[in-house]
Formats: sequence, C-alpha cells, structure tokens
Amino acid sequence: MSVPTAAASPTGRAAGRPGRTASRRREAIAGLLFVLPTIVIFVVFKFIPIGGAGAMSLTQYRLNGDVTFLGAENYTRLFADPHFWQSLGVTLGYVCIFVPLIIVVSLVGALLLNRLVRASGVFRALLFVPYLSSFVLAGIIWKWIFAADGPLNAALDGVGLGPVPFLTGEAWLVLASLAMVAAWKGFGYSMLIFLAGLKAQPAEVHEAARIDGAGNWKSFWHITLPLLKPVVFFVLVIETIVGFQVFDTIYVMTGGGPARASYSLIYFLFDQGFRFFDFGYAAAIGIVLFAIVLILSLIQRRFFEGKDEQ
Amino acid sequence: MTSTASLALDVPVTGDGTLPTGTPGSSVRPPRRRRSRGGADGGQTWPIVALVVISLFTVAPLIAVIVLALSPEDAPTIPYALPSELTFDNLVRIFNVGEFPLWFWNSLVYSVVSVVLVLLTASMAAYALARKRFPGRNLVLWSIVATLMVPMQATLIPTFIMIAGWGGVNTLWGLILPTLANAQAVFLIRQFVRDLPDELFDAARIDGAGEWRTFVAIVLPLIRPVLATLAIFVFLWHWNDLLWPLVIGQSDEARTLTVGLASLNTETVSNSSIMAAALISFIPCLVIFIVLQRHIVASITSSGVKG
Repeated sequence: MSVPTAAASPTGRAAGRPGRTASRRREAIAGLLFVLPTIVIFVVFKFIPIGGAGAMSLTQYRLNGDVTFLGAENYTRLFADPHFWQSLGVTLGYVCIFVPLIIVVSLVGALLLNRLVRASGVFRALLFVPYLSSFVLAGIIWKWIFAADGPLNAALDGVGLGPVPFLTGEAWLVLASLAMVAAWKGFGYSMLIFLAGLKAQPAEVHEAARIDGAGNWKSFWHITLPLLKPVVFFVLVIETIVGFQVFDTIYVMTGGGPARASYSLIYFLFDQGFRFFDFGYAAAIGIVLFAIVLILSLIQRRFFEGKDEQ
Repeated sequence: MTSTASLALDVPVTGDGTLPTGTPGSSVRPPRRRRSRGGADGGQTWPIVALVVISLFTVAPLIAVIVLALSPEDAPTIPYALPSELTFDNLVRIFNVGEFPLWFWNSLVYSVVSVVLVLLTASMAAYALARKRFPGRNLVLWSIVATLMVPMQATLIPTFIMIAGWGGVNTLWGLILPTLANAQAVFLIRQFVRDLPDELFDAARIDGAGEWRTFVAIVLPLIRPVLATLAIFVFLWHWNDLLWPLVIGQSDEARTLTVGLASLNTETVSNSSIMAAALISFIPCLVIFIVLQRHIVASITSSGVKG
C-alpha cells in the first residue's frame, strides 16, 4: 500500500526541460481541483465530526444548545456508571458468541463449497442470499421464528422440548439468539473470503498430503487450516469490529431487553443521545467505541504489515 | 451510513485476483477436481447433503416471508397450517395505505443519489491521487484512509448536531450528505486507476485532451468494473442502513424503508402487512444480486469490500 511517487510521472518527461515547471504547476492545479470535492466532504463530514466528538465529550451539550465545559467529567461519570459497564459486558458477551459462531459457519460453508465439483455456483448463491437483507429485515423474520407461538417453538413443542424463551429468557440465551440472527445475515461475506483463500491454496500440497496417506481430517488440521491462518485472522478482526457495533437487530428484536439483557454499547449511546439528549455524554461513549475499534484495527494493521505491499 | 469501521482493504487471500468460480484458464485449480476424476462420485454426496441443509437454514426464513406476505390476512397460516390460498392483497394494501410508498421513495433516493455522488467524487479524487502530482497528495490520501478506523457511531452525535444546525433533520439532503464521505470507494478506485497503463495517459496528453476530457473519456470507461462493484455495495449499504436514517429521519418526509419497517414492527400492524413490507424492501436487493451476482462475488474475493 505504499504510494509510488514515480507512477504519476509520464515516462517521456525528462527533468530539466523548458516548460517543465509550467506543466508541473498545471498538473498540480488539475490534481487539486479533482480531489477538492472529496477533501471538502471529508473535512466537513469526517474530520470536523471526529474533532467535534472529542470536544463534545468534554462538555455538557444539551438539546437547546447550552454548552458547559466539564473537562473529563463525562468520562469519570461513564466509568462510574453501572449501565456503561453492563452495556460493555453485554457487548463483550455478544461478541464472544457471535464471532466464533460466524467464523465456524462461514468456514464450514467455504470448505463444503470448495469440495463441490458441480453446482457450487447455485449453492454459493443460496448461502449468500441472506447477506443481501438488512439487519432490520433479518430481525423481523427471526423475531417471528423465535416467538413463543412461532415455528421454532412449534417444532420444539412437537418433540416435547417445550417453549424456549429465545428473546425473553436468560441473558445468554437472548444474546445467543441475537448472535445467530447476525450470523445468518452476515456469514455469506466471510464465507466468500474463506473460499477465495481455499482456492488460492496450492493443489500440490494437498496432493502430497494425500499421497502420504493423510486423511481428510488430518489434512484439514495440518495443512488447510495453517495455510488459511492469515485469512482466519483477518475475518476474526473484521467480524469482531462488526460485533462491537451491534445495534439494528437489538433495536428491532428486543429493544435492549429483557431487563437490559441485550443493552449493547451502541444501544446505550443511542439512548443517551436520542432519548435523553445528553449529547456530551453520548459523545464520550462514542469515543470509547472508537478506542476499542482503533485497537482492533491496529492489531490488524500490525499483523498484515508488509504482507500486501503492491 | 455504512459500518465503515471494517478495514477490509487488503484481503490477504487473492493470489492473482482470480475468482473462485473456476474461471477458464485460471492458474489456481481447485485441488478437489482431480480427485473426483477417479472415484465414481469423488465423495460428493455428503458435501451436497450438508450444503442442502445449510441452504435450508439460509433460504427457509426468506421463503417464510414470501408465504406470510402472500397469505390472506387473519387466516391460519404457517407454522400451524398452510395458507388456503395465496394473494397479493397484502402487497397491494401496504402500497396504498399509510406512508409506505413515501418510505420506499426515500430509500430509493437515499441509495441512488448516494451511489451516483459517491462514485463521481471518489473517481475524481482517485484519479488525482493516483495520477497527478500535487503538494500534500500523500497527506490527503492517508488522511482519507485513516478515517476508516473511525466507526460512524463515534461521530454520530456531532454529525447529527451539525446537520440539525443546518436545518437538515427530516430532509433527504441531510440524510444523504454525511454518507458521501466514503473512504473505501476512494481507496479501491485509486488502486484501480494506478494500475492502468501509463501509455494511455501519455497518448491522451499528446492528443491534447484536457484534464476533464481525459477523465471522462479515458478513466471512467476503464474503471467500469470497479465502479459496478462499488455501485452494488454502496447501494446495499444505504438501502439496508438503519442507525443514521433513524436518527435523522424521524418524521415521514425523510423516513426510509428500514426505519419504517422497524416502526411497523412495534405498532399493532398485522403480521402479514409487516411481512409484505419486508418482502417489498428485499426485492430490489434480490434483483440486483441476480443481475450482478458475478460482480458481487468477484469484488468480495478480490478487494474485500465490506458493508
């Protein structure tokens, strides 16, 4: 990802020719004009809000526009707020269920698709299709499926397992149900990344293992998986970040409940910002999320350093 | 806004960037293909069985939506009985009642206008960042890329305050504007423009083509593949987006389908109406997928666009 400074210079232009400075200047002006709309958009809608988030998190910012400088008070209040720790705990619990689940499902899907000789395109499409839906749509469907009088409980009733309170029961069950919905919606994407990783593995290695008498299971553990490790790590990080941002399914399916069992970090931020209009406090929650995502991103960058130089 | 926190810029898997579809002449051959030549079936039975099971898991909920949306209102339906007949009544009703058509229109404007503006501004920037030398170029590029590490939720509050200050709450422009800052689009198009052959640009310069003409007549046609890919994903991100539209579009004038669906869900609306609305919201995505399936698969595997 290094920037090749030479790439932009046409090969025919030798240094020191007359007119070089003028054409250089023309090129620079053209370049700046082309990039100007994007610079304006990013300054206004990214850099100013980023600075604004940091600044607002140090103030009490009310709906009527009253601003009081508080210093670090929002943060000390946040770290003393049991609702913050609860939402962080809920989010971590959710991530701990969601990430392994989506990794396993997408990896299994990719391994199966990779084995197919025919019709893999059809199955790939069938497995990918939930990715096109919104989390709202996924939430509406699965809320119906998980309902006390829904199809899943009807089926469980049929085998005598009684109604399971998927969205109204204990915290771990609610979080697992929510994680399942997000995995259903999202796994197609990671599956395709895994599939690309599997297709890129050299056939010779697998041939050699087979000749040496390694069975399917053995060659998976000792060859396929180690070769796939960077891809697994990549998917792990992006799905962890996605997990920390969970909101839509909770908004549609549980509203943070029951009894805050699914009250996630973003739900907490949304509540503080747009129900209690405590904007400074909500901005501080946003900064905490930013810190978490930043750490995960830096781990990812560090891990892939030098691997993708093009 | 998209969940831009996902830093899916460098998928470390691509090899030569070919698709996993078994492209003819691809140097990467699926290792299993050889094995199947020998055996009667090459052990194809159990993977197919397993895939059928997983397909049921992925597709059955969507089929349930279709069945429920087409079931007569207040009549017994799945899971307790099969609907006695299928009808389009729910779909027709939802389009004639309430603000649903407006929500649909808002989602369409939000998605389509954003796609056009993001692709235009990002291509222009990408062309300059890849092909022009100007002071501060690297600073601009890396500042844009660095914003990928900032999740949109972290800037939600100040962005809302800013748009509200401009009177943009409950307007479509207020909805669209902040989502135009799309660093992934700039970055991916730049990679593509950078890899175009220098000779093309030399030829254009010798022919005396102006900068804008070079951009429109040479760059844009050549980057069509990456634009098609991004168009699909930017559309899906906007069409399926919830948090930002929920915050900025509180009344019907700027309410999108996702926000409307979520609100129906909490009201006393019949299940068949909700499912009809859900089905309609899904159809554009499905159509795009069926038409452009190859592009979607290719882009994920070669560039790692993440929505």
